[in-house]
Amino acid sequence: MRPLLAVLLALALTALLIVAAGKNPLLAYAALGRGALGSWDRVGVGLNKATPYVLTGIGVALCFRARVINIGAEGQIALGGLAATWIALMFPQAPPVVLPLLALAAGALTGAGWAALAAAIRLHRGVHEVLVTLLLNFVGVLIVSEALQGSLGEPGAGFPQSPLLPRASWLPRVLKGSDLHAGIVIAVIVVVLAHVLLWRMPFGFRLRVLGASTPAAVYAGISPPRALLGVMSLAGALAGLAGAVEVLGVHYRLIDGFSHGFGFNAVAIALLGALNPITVLPAGLFFGFLETGALAMQRAVGVPTPLVAVIQGLTMIFILSAMGLSARRSKV
Amino acid sequence: MLRMRGISKSFGSVHANRSIDLEVAPGRIVGLLGENGSGKTTLMNILFGIVPPDAGTIVFKGRPLVGHSPREAIAAGIGMIHQHFMLVPAMTVTENVMLGWEATGRWLRPAGVAQQISSASSAYGLGLDPAARVELLPLGAQQRVEIVKAVLRGAELLVLDEPTSSLSPPEVAGLLRILRRLREEGRSVIFISHKLGEVLEVCDEVVVLRDGGVAGRVGAASVDRHELARMMVGREVNAPLDRIARAPGAERLVVANLTARDALEIERVRGLSFSVRAGEVLALVGVDGNGQAELARVIVGIERPTGGAVFVDGADVTAGGVAARRAAGLAHVPADRATTGLVTDMTIAENLALRAFDEPPLRHGPWLDPDAMTELARERIADFAIRAPGPATVVRTLSGGNQQKIVLARELGSRPAVLVAEQPTRGLDPGATRFVIDQVIALRAAGAAVLYVTTELEEALLVADRIGVMHQGRLVGLLRREHVDLGRLGLMMAGALEEPSDPAALYGVPTP
Repeated sequence: MRPLLAVLLALALTALLIVAAGKNPLLAYAALGRGALGSWDRVGVGLNKATPYVLTGIGVALCFRARVINIGAEGQIALGGLAATWIALMFPQAPPVVLPLLALAAGALTGAGWAALAAAIRLHRGVHEVLVTLLLNFVGVLIVSEALQGSLGEPGAGFPQSPLLPRASWLPRVLKGSDLHAGIVIAVIVVVLAHVLLWRMPFGFRLRVLGASTPAAVYAGISPPRALLGVMSLAGALAGLAGAVEVLGVHYRLIDGFSHGFGFNAVAIALLGALNPITVLPAGLFFGFLETGALAMQRAVGVPTPLVAVIQGLTMIFILSAMGLSARRSKV
Repeated sequence: MLRMRGISKSFGSVHANRSIDLEVAPGRIVGLLGENGSGKTTLMNILFGIVPPDAGTIVFKGRPLVGHSPREAIAAGIGMIHQHFMLVPAMTVTENVMLGWEATGRWLRPAGVAQQISSASSAYGLGLDPAARVELLPLGAQQRVEIVKAVLRGAELLVLDEPTSSLSPPEVAGLLRILRRLREEGRSVIFISHKLGEVLEVCDEVVVLRDGGVAGRVGAASVDRHELARMMVGREVNAPLDRIARAPGAERLVVANLTARDALEIERVRGLSFSVRAGEVLALVGVDGNGQAELARVIVGIERPTGGAVFVDGADVTAGGVAARRAAGLAHVPADRATTGLVTDMTIAENLALRAFDEPPLRHGPWLDPDAMTELARERIADFAIRAPGPATVVRTLSGGNQQKIVLARELGSRPAVLVAEQPTRGLDPGATRFVIDQVIALRAAGAAVLYVTTELEEALLVADRIGVMHQGRLVGLLRREHVDLGRLGLMMAGALEEPSDPAALYGVPTP
């Protein structure tokens, strides 16, 4: 109930801004709704948009559960996309089912490796994970740029992007008449697996104890470094997977800066979803549909798209305030 | 001097104070006695203006105190000394006394304040050096800084919340002397405690709180400990079980020449050797901070020792971690219930599974078995008489006594070979304390070896077969219970006396 109220409050406040911009907020929101959910095609676009959000949001949520502040999703997505592109371009003759699976796996592995590197620096050099993951984002994104300027770039494209990937590597469409690709299926499966992992498996129990109290975790025989390495690698794998899905399902090529903003949205979605895999799904969908709707709103009414970022931001603030409020109430 | 009438305060559905009357005459020491959660702290927070009462009046020195702040309470002449001192460790005594003191004026004049501290120090026998840095002072001296702070601010009524909980016996005696000196001057003291002996020794009268109401109000001269304990708990507290005399069996826990450092790399355990046999309780007494915590941590495997070895049932477990030592039969009741022994935001079932979740029957292949956890929790709740709605209850909502029962249920329920219990009764009321001690004695009867770390001498005498005294990371004495002299033990705890250990207590100590 509370998240819904927060969304409504955010929409109401943004309506004032739209009025201030000299537009009719009702028309704007109608256009937003149509753009997000107006047709199967639009729904497909929204779901595609939400897929990487859900995948990375789950990874971040699991990290936050264990009080590991991983904000490195962006770099992990970028390198996951890079690895998937490389595999797809290297083995163009591979059979159509094997190639995407191989490329997805490569993306996940690379993301996991990148996150594990951050975890290793945290554990062996004592640099706080916020700093390490943040800085490795820049490195990861720049490695992608470097690759696109060099061997992986499309000759004569005029923009840093890779050549079109072989058709065999594309993720299959799952809904006739729309762009919806198989990524959403992967995301839903990951949601279920993450839920089981967190609530029904020893690893999830470790994460929850560690997040609640480090001394209690040590007392329980849990190794905090091992748990940190594990959960970071898992989150990195999911982010890398998201990067691969974005490349293989939406763009069919690697584009410079394709991961921009995903990492921080993932943090917002994890918090909006109350760090719970099942509720991260609607949070990710909300962000995805809001963004596709926003583009339509801009086209129809001329309201600038940055206002969508305002709605997202306000929703976050309202929801987190509501959560803080209830935490304080329950304490008394 | 102070008259509180009909004080009531509720937090949600919890009635913390129900129509409490409290009167303190000038020159009297009034003991405020009660279990945790009986309303002592709330009542004092109301007096000091930290929380407003729902109903009731406070009259102090003939003037009503209504809607006052702590600052106004201090100005009126009430001084509060909290259990955890409100001092800035990096500052000197003088600076701490000046901090937030309006009489200091616009310009700081440390010399004048230092002069006042010195004269107060000699008047009350506080033994304080105004230029000393607070963090370098022992806890007893830090407490005297709090006292001098309150006295210089003109406190005529001092409230001391659990003032003796981290003091050695000689320091406690010193504190009680200071309180009597304050009383001679006509100042009054409210002495909050759950230690019956001290209350009877220093107080003129005792007010006992129970469940937020006044359970009794008696002159200290006309009451005994048994009677006070009954008032606190509301029922008879039986004398503990007579322990079965039993010949100690094989050595189950052996600690050989153990050394350990704390997080700041300071050596806190300096070459300790002792052993505990089957069916024996060894109590380690000492003032907090003399290496007991570090010793327990290296024995149970939370930290690695810097030297020496630990054996459980003859097997060297020094190389293993917490899980390996648990598997070897080592159970552990940590000192810090709220953040180490329990995860208070998780359920009773999850907390009972805290150390065994990754082994059958709680784990089936890769899966946790919630039904097995619930089943285990049901059993333990019944066996250990944990008062809670059910296995899914969140631990935070339970009383301290019931929380500790969960820890005991988990650690003793696994029938351990060796138990390391750190301060297992800290903060518990007499009923819950009794429960803990009974459980430890039952475990002893079942043939386990128990290492019982405590700061309470009386408790050590109750449970232990032998008593070791720790001071600055070393054993300064090891005595059989029959040979204990309380006075000497107190001196040893303060580091003022070291004696060769009682030969009869020394069996099985490995030679380094």
